[in-house]
Amino acid sequence: MPTTAVEELNIILAGVGGQGVILMSDLLGNSALADGLNIQGSEVLGMAQRGGSVFSNIRLGDGAVGPLTPQGKCDILVAVEPSEALRYVKELAPSALVILNTTEVRPYTVATGESAYPAFDVILATVRKVTKQIIPLDATQIAKEAGNALAANTAMLGALFGSGRLPIKVETMKELIKSRVPPKAVEANLKAFDMGYAAVAESLNA
Amino acid sequence: MNHMKQLTITSDAPGAPLLLLGNEAIARGAIEAGVTVLSSYPGTPSSEIGQAVIDAAKDLPHMYVEWSANEKLGFEVAFSASMTGVRTMTTMKHVGLNVAHDPVMTACNMGVKGGLVVVVADDPHMHSSQNEQDSRYVALQGYLPVFEPATGQEAKDMMADAFMFSEEWGQMVMFRPVTRLSHARSRVILGPIERPEREAVFDKDSTRWVCQPSNSRRHRVEMLTRHARIKEAADSFKYNRLDLRPGAKLGIIASGLGWAYLEDAVRWLGIADQVSILKLGMTVPIPDKLVLELLEATPEVLVVEDLEPIIENQVKVVAQNHKIAKTIHGKNVVPVNGELSTRRVMEALAQVLSVEMPVDFRSLDAVGDEAAPLLPLRPPALCSGCPHRASLYAEGQAARKYKREFKKEVAARCGDIGCYGLGFFAPLSSDDTQICMSASLGAAQGIAQATGGPTIAHIGDSTFFHSGLSSLANAVFNNANVTLLILDNAITAQTGFQEDPATGRTASGSPSPVIKPEDVARAMQVKFVEVVDPFEVDTTIDTIGRALRSEGPAVVVCRQACQVLKQRELKEEGKRFVPCEIDREACNDCRVCIKRLGCPAILIEAEGVVIDSGQCTGCMVCAAVCPKDAIKSVGSR
Repeated sequence: MPTTAVEELNIILAGVGGQGVILMSDLLGNSALADGLNIQGSEVLGMAQRGGSVFSNIRLGDGAVGPLTPQGKCDILVAVEPSEALRYVKELAPSALVILNTTEVRPYTVATGESAYPAFDVILATVRKVTKQIIPLDATQIAKEAGNALAANTAMLGALFGSGRLPIKVETMKELIKSRVPPKAVEANLKAFDMGYAAVAESLNA
Repeated sequence: MNHMKQLTITSDAPGAPLLLLGNEAIARGAIEAGVTVLSSYPGTPSSEIGQAVIDAAKDLPHMYVEWSANEKLGFEVAFSASMTGVRTMTTMKHVGLNVAHDPVMTACNMGVKGGLVVVVADDPHMHSSQNEQDSRYVALQGYLPVFEPATGQEAKDMMADAFMFSEEWGQMVMFRPVTRLSHARSRVILGPIERPEREAVFDKDSTRWVCQPSNSRRHRVEMLTRHARIKEAADSFKYNRLDLRPGAKLGIIASGLGWAYLEDAVRWLGIADQVSILKLGMTVPIPDKLVLELLEATPEVLVVEDLEPIIENQVKVVAQNHKIAKTIHGKNVVPVNGELSTRRVMEALAQVLSVEMPVDFRSLDAVGDEAAPLLPLRPPALCSGCPHRASLYAEGQAARKYKREFKKEVAARCGDIGCYGLGFFAPLSSDDTQICMSASLGAAQGIAQATGGPTIAHIGDSTFFHSGLSSLANAVFNNANVTLLILDNAITAQTGFQEDPATGRTASGSPSPVIKPEDVARAMQVKFVEVVDPFEVDTTIDTIGRALRSEGPAVVVCRQACQVLKQRELKEEGKRFVPCEIDREACNDCRVCIKRLGCPAILIEAEGVVIDSGQCTGCMVCAAVCPKDAIKSVGSR
């Protein structure tokens, strides 16, 4: 798979505590580093332990200077939790690609009735007000099929690479997964990555 | 690929790239400069700097590192170690500087011997702070040079140079990142590591290190002279950079992330040929000649900086001194509150230049406003099984019982800074006040003395040892009618599990005595001192109740380990928590457990209330509040 050189590519990873968003960010950043790209980015740390929303953004290419994706300039939003896409919809560029995991993580406030969880159609309709390029996939189901329910984050990474918009080699990413994931989970994670990749690549070709 | 994996923050690999957090880049800069002493109290967003240096010290035997009891101690240890000629540093968050302010204001007169860098991380937008103060005001007050990095790479390079600068001028440097820089992640090219071969020797120059007025009058004159020389040198300081464009319509002065956002904005708007930019790496004092050059070359000037108009006001002084009547924009177009962003800088530019916005921010805002109310609430919550939840629940129950018995309310429940600050949120709603580190006990005393009390304060062990000791002495001294709960988990949990005086271990892992808050309280002549395990809910409620009814100050130590750490210990031993489960027959779906505790492990599913065995730590606190006795340990099956 050839990689495309980019002047600037802004990616936002969104999810909730426990979904491994920071690991995704670490893998993405280090694979870009290994391929010699300039990387700027930042994370909101500290909420991972406490079930809050988790945000990371990675900016690739020599055009990126600051640590935050400028509002209106996010090229790809990866929502590992579907409702979290709503939090970043105002950051999207008009041509942005949005990759959505369809498996919900409902906070306890939904259980207590303090808040409501939006219907998936409502999420889609809201995101569509900014961009039509939306790819939903059940990364959590993919991860289970790949043999490790915790690998939804690697499935989403595969989906991100499947978009064909990253200037990073797939091989670089896979090597990194092998070195960073616990040995017994490597196979399932690589499988989840490939399945996520294929799901998006097919959806774009369809 | 493989060489990347092995590289760490202590690798002596000049030229190699590493993906580093801004705070790690700062730590790496200090390591490259051969820093020998680090003393620090953790505080978001600064904590990872001290942690990274402490972790690195395991590979660097020349270093001494410590978690200090508070920022004042952290500063005093670093400052006095610099008197021996070695390079030293301390790190803190902006509000920590308030605690260290007293010695800083005298040390700035005395100057330093070994290079001393004081890293103060500001928190625009208050991501995790109680206020939004700009630390540079303290630098102005103390005539301290301020370095502001704009990128991760610059944070590393500039930090290393800050030690050299400090030594060259004999003055400490204030190094000021902001949250988004501290928590930025970027590619940083490593530099060489300097191995210091200096011996630490304290030369007993009593004219230098004693602040008797006869010395201090001289110190102050020396300090003013030093500052004037630093100001002259600022024009050739390598991180101050003037880029003049012929015919530019606007001159812009920017520092730190303000500069980074400005760069993004200028590129996006495509106006690089219309603006001349002065990038400042040192913001106190500013380089007068470079500023003057920009003022003379451009029709008007805009200053872009996070928080207060520190550069702006200095620039206005330069303009006034040189009788330049041009317009200097700053906080009239760049917000003083909150953090900067590319958008905010673009909107400031749009007010002084005619530029067209490349996207329609208003329509994005409209979609954002539509999306926001659709989001389910995910408030930060205490972890499942957190002993603070048990303590604060018991505190609330004891206050309720007090009211029933005496027909009068506990006047106030005063909270403090730590994980337990989350008790403010429903359903615990435990905090009537939160002010600053250890102010719970001060506030509880003020309200108790004014109303007759009783009042309750609750504070963690780290915060108690940080600045609560004199508060407790004051309560005893003035016989305040307060009950103090010391929530002792023997660690500074919120900022990432740093050791404190209750831990029994130093930052570098060697054993140290455990200081028990109850021993301190007894030594301070508190008459009512009891220790409870908050997981024994009824006993805890009863004990707090008796403390409230006792005369004068009372101390209840609620001792239980942080369950996150407990879980890590169990994992290492190949064990797991034994979770609880709901007895479906007994449960009547009253949801009292959820309504009173708000534990993230208790969920509502189609079949009713369930306990998530993956999250449950088996603390059994929910079992104690269940009116139907429907919650059992899985281990009791």
